[in-house]
Amino acid sequence: MGFGDYPVEYNPQKHGPYDPARFYGKQDIPLAQVKLGELGAWFGRRNKSPNAMVAAISRAFWRWQHKYVQPKRVGVAPFFQVVVGSSILFYILNYDRITSHRNYKYH
Amino acid sequence: MLSRALLSAQQSRALALLGSRATATSASHAAASQTNEGDLPEFRRRVREEPGKVRMGFIPEEWFQFFYNKTGVTGPYTFAFTLSTYLVSKEIYVLEHEFYNGISLAIICVAGVKIFGPKVAAALDREVDEFEKSWVQNRQNQKDYCSEGIELEKKLQSSMEAQNMLIQAKRENVALQLEANYRQRLMTVFNEVKKRLEYQTEKQNIERRIAQKNLVEWVVAKVKASITPDQEKQNIDRCIADLANLSKA
Repeated sequence: MGFGDYPVEYNPQKHGPYDPARFYGKQDIPLAQVKLGELGAWFGRRNKSPNAMVAAISRAFWRWQHKYVQPKRVGVAPFFQVVVGSSILFYILNYDRITSHRNYKYH
Repeated sequence: MLSRALLSAQQSRALALLGSRATATSASHAAASQTNEGDLPEFRRRVREEPGKVRMGFIPEEWFQFFYNKTGVTGPYTFAFTLSTYLVSKEIYVLEHEFYNGISLAIICVAGVKIFGPKVAAALDREVDEFEKSWVQNRQNQKDYCSEGIELEKKLQSSMEAQNMLIQAKRENVALQLEANYRQRLMTVFNEVKKRLEYQTEKQNIERRIAQKNLVEWVVAKVKASITPDQEKQNIDRCIADLANLSKA
């Protein structure tokens, strides 16, 4: 799979029009239904290559897009989600500098 | 003219072939898509979703539903409140100047959404509707254009049949012309032959008349030549005697 190509498993004849939010590989049981004892095996079955990680992030992004951004009549929700999400992210990134503004010595 | 008729017949056949092929491909394509979507559960076509439900402007409803089974309706609020109390009291979340700035910004944002939201939403919805309507209209126009093309094609094909009838009539006309020409030529041949035959008969008649005349002249000449003076004298005497008899009577 080169840069910008469709996933290897994607077959237009079989799957229909390409959906960027859909995982075309072999389906595993969802993480929420995995028993604690089988968690190691479940993680062992995951594809941990950088390609697969980027693809997973991309699918999540498109899922969010389809749900909150692409519908016909969207509200202001996706904008607030981006604002809140980015402020949390930058809070975490700047956490070391922010902690120097602590007001109390003892908690 | 006949070659043109042939050409038009070929064209009409080609058009008919083209039409049958176009319908055949579209039919097979429809069949293929039906089987694909019908038989394979993996064949999915994404449909546009309704926007996800949110509370307080941006928090997904699913997060509240996740709490609902375990803690009831107030669970998520309790969780958020206690968690923020913990974070603030331990100063894991630091209330520095950015926090108060953020509060004022949030108040401005919420107020803006509350005040201008409905108007902006109405205007945007109207624009969305217009946009969608323009696409639907465009699609409808395309459909109308195609169906008009089909109607025109049908009309052209039926007029092509009329052309065939016309060509039939023209062929009959040509046949009539040929027949008339044939008869005229027959008449010419007849007249020519008749003329020649009349010439021949006339020639023969003339020759016979000349021959007869010559013969008669020859015979008369011979007879004249054979008449002796005695005979002439006797003849005249005889004539005079006859005249005398006649005068007597």
